[in-house]
Amino acid sequence: MRLYLIFVLCLFGLKSNAHEMTPTYPVLDSSYINGVVVAKMKLFNRRDDVEYYQVEVFTEDWKPVKFATTTRLLKVGYNKNKLFNVYIRFVDVKRTKYICTTSKIFKGGNQETLVSSMICSKIK
Amino acid sequence: MTIKKITAVVLLLSATSAMATDSPINGTVQPKCSVYTETQGVFGNPLPNKLDTLPASGGTKASIRYDIAQANFYLARITHPNSFSSSPTLNDSVAWTGSSVVGQVSVAAMSAYEAAKVISPSNVTTFNMTLAGSTWFTVSSTALYGYNKALPAGSYTAIIKADCIAK
Repeated sequence: MRLYLIFVLCLFGLKSNAHEMTPTYPVLDSSYINGVVVAKMKLFNRRDDVEYYQVEVFTEDWKPVKFATTTRLLKVGYNKNKLFNVYIRFVDVKRTKYICTTSKIFKGGNQETLVSSMICSKIK
Repeated sequence: MTIKKITAVVLLLSATSAMATDSPINGTVQPKCSVYTETQGVFGNPLPNKLDTLPASGGTKASIRYDIAQANFYLARITHPNSFSSSPTLNDSVAWTGSSVVGQVSVAAMSAYEAAKVISPSNVTTFNMTLAGSTWFTVSSTALYGYNKALPAGSYTAIIKADCIAK
């Protein structure tokens, strides 16, 4: 039984398709631009089927918030980390609630259901 | 004699310089959510007008694993499909059904997620991840085309959304 469990764990270890983003609760710091704050985020791509992640910022009721970042579509290689900054106007800080990354999957396939993952950090 | 003394001094000096130094490995444990796509679902085609992920219909249910590093920081929100992301041209409506249920769990108490899940709207299921550990969710989906109309030949793809939202 123990060997079987180790075998199953090894299988999971070999086929790890995960999407991670930290921190859970980002801190908004002042940036080098007046009237703009910045959140420093880290994305980890362990999905071998995904190469691109879209960055989005939302209010509490999931309405989009204007923001700036180096690129809204992050290219992150398999098993790679990506650090990125999200710049939000000071006037939007009060209504900003979530910073999210969503995996972008390629159109196509053959009678499949594909999984698109989204992870959202919350600004408290 | 002098060379011997110098050699001894050099050896002593080199011995004192070979001190042990600490080489720390640093790490931080923080609340974190990881979404794993364990199994991509596959539609079976048991009837001409039906696509279904049920194994009895020749399909495969999708399996998504959520790893929660610390308890009570995240909500898992799974949306099963209500449209195709790619398909041949369809001239009639498609009726969608599906479900997201708790499968395997790493902590027995996680089984309670199933009873506490919230379904709203009909294709979105939210689970409150109150415990740390791994939870596998099984997602099924069925598409019925028109009224006994055969689905056109071609490839069909639908997307399941697996969200992990900080509370």
